[in-house]
Amino acid sequence: MQWWTIFQKELLENWRSLKWVWVPIVFILLAIMDPITSYYTPVLLEQFGDLPEGAEINIPTPTPEQAFMSSISQYNLMGLLLILIMTMGLISGERKSGVTELILVKPVRYTNYITAKWASTLLLVLTSSFLGLLASWYYINILFGDLPFSHAMTGFLFHSVWYVLVITISVFLNTLFRVPGLVGFLSVTSVIVLSSINGIFKSQFEWLPPQIHLYIQTFLNSGTLPTDMWITTVLTILLSAILLMLSVFIFKKKELAS
Amino acid sequence: MAFVSVSGLTKRFDKTDVVHDIAFELEKGNCISLLGPNGAGKTTTLRMLAGLMKPTSGSIVFEGHPAHSDIREVIGYLPQHPVFHYWMTGKEFLVYVGRLAHLSKKDASNRAEVLLEKVGIADAKNRRISKYSGGMKQRLGIAQAMIHQPKLLVLDEPVSALDPIGRREVLNLLEDIKKETTILFSTHILSDAEEVSDELLLMHNGEIVESGRLDDLQFTQDATKLKVSFSQNGDIYAEDIEALESVESVLKEGKHLTINTHNTDQARSEILQLAVERQWPITHFEVSRTSLEDLFMKVVKQ
Amino acid sequence: MDIAQIPDVVAELTAMIPWKIIIPVMILELILLTVAIVDLVKRTETNGPKWLWLIIILGFNLVGPVVYFIIGRRPH
Repeated sequence: MQWWTIFQKELLENWRSLKWVWVPIVFILLAIMDPITSYYTPVLLEQFGDLPEGAEINIPTPTPEQAFMSSISQYNLMGLLLILIMTMGLISGERKSGVTELILVKPVRYTNYITAKWASTLLLVLTSSFLGLLASWYYINILFGDLPFSHAMTGFLFHSVWYVLVITISVFLNTLFRVPGLVGFLSVTSVIVLSSINGIFKSQFEWLPPQIHLYIQTFLNSGTLPTDMWITTVLTILLSAILLMLSVFIFKKKELAS
Repeated sequence: MAFVSVSGLTKRFDKTDVVHDIAFELEKGNCISLLGPNGAGKTTTLRMLAGLMKPTSGSIVFEGHPAHSDIREVIGYLPQHPVFHYWMTGKEFLVYVGRLAHLSKKDASNRAEVLLEKVGIADAKNRRISKYSGGMKQRLGIAQAMIHQPKLLVLDEPVSALDPIGRREVLNLLEDIKKETTILFSTHILSDAEEVSDELLLMHNGEIVESGRLDDLQFTQDATKLKVSFSQNGDIYAEDIEALESVESVLKEGKHLTINTHNTDQARSEILQLAVERQWPITHFEVSRTSLEDLFMKVVKQ
Repeated sequence: MDIAQIPDVVAELTAMIPWKIIIPVMILELILLTVAIVDLVKRTETNGPKWLWLIIILGFNLVGPVVYFIIGRRPH
């Protein structure tokens, strides 16, 4: 019940601060931008490119699957950055400002406080991500041809696993430091480092969390879920769970006032 | 057993004890002020009581509460500079913290209404906290501390940031609240402490240097001063006064003499007797109130 | 391109614009812009001068409003 109270308060805060308006819109725009531009670039070039007579434009039109992956790539760059900047003050900001001095002197369970904040952020981000990919799927069907809805949604679900980890990393760093800027910097760094490690070791160890994107691509092209995808998913969820538990543990040990 | 007993409480930051081995007991229903200059360790002490900081060593025991239970259930705390969720209304905030303290939705709402009325901001209950004045925020702060009917109300410098009017209002409010619950509040202003508290804990350099009921405390310290002014330079009378047994020292400032004594009554009658006998041209005679500073000088010197 | 050709090109371009595709995008960007500006106008205190934020919001499509939402507003 206390968990629900905090969760509701977070939802209300995100609504009043207009996050529930602008974050979904931004995710939708991020998701549809690439498919639309990649469709119209050749057309526009042909019309207004001022090309010499007889020159041929040879930009291959992407397949529906490739177009959908371009939306997901946007999510991995701009979407990721947006999430990390948005969540960098989730807990550290409240500690820095001093609100926690009023909230956490009430008999609040730290587990409730952290997981409710984590869950409300997840709800906002995943809803936005869902709406964006839904829009992307819709446009792809108009512009590039048929992409099965079930494929798009499976892509969304597995990509969400990656977002869960990203948000959990941010929450974890939020419990370690009380300066939002530092949390933001370190969470971006962690994600970059994680992706680099994956880039180096992916032939030796193919189940690191960032690897999930390759499997989403494989799935979109083949229509079957590779076993490696499941292993990666389970590992990512496990890692998130451990980080979340560590966050609560660290937060309990921390002094709430300085 | 006392309602709250604190013993051996120490808080160390980087090898220095901000609070050093303090012990005190709070009686139920009393209003106790924790008095001391800035940097004495008051805030740290209160934060440890409220469960915001973990003591380096020592214990805080509440009557009827096991040593390791969540003391936050029975404590209401107002920090020195309370920060709210400013996007909430006053009522929403009270209901929120009430729900966090395990009140039902209905109870939290009812209790919030009662408290808003009590602290005098019922008119502004549906306004965003960001629009509140300093005094209103402080009163909302007191209300949120009381939402779960705590057994002990801990207030950190509840009036020091307020203007004279706000200060008066909050002091009156404390006067009213102390009928219902035990209050421990910190201040660096003696007159605030005197006005509302029954008991005093005097803190200096992380230690409790003196404690007791206010009247007793002033009596034992007897840190009063006498101020005498003459129509001409007072230096010539100072010698006679200094010779008196009850007088400790005399400070000469032109026509004015400030006399420190350990026995006010005796010093006063002796000086007045001298004045009558020798026909001193006295224009002003005052038994001055003990200032906090004097009290401290006295206590710290011991 | 010849200057005399411009009206033709504009007409051609207008006819070519796939409104079905573009209008939803425009509506979303308009909502984002409006919400940001309404919030800016209503807010008593922003992180920096208001006129500057107005320029940022209006001047940088998509990025402007997002930057405003993230760092332009003070917590209280």
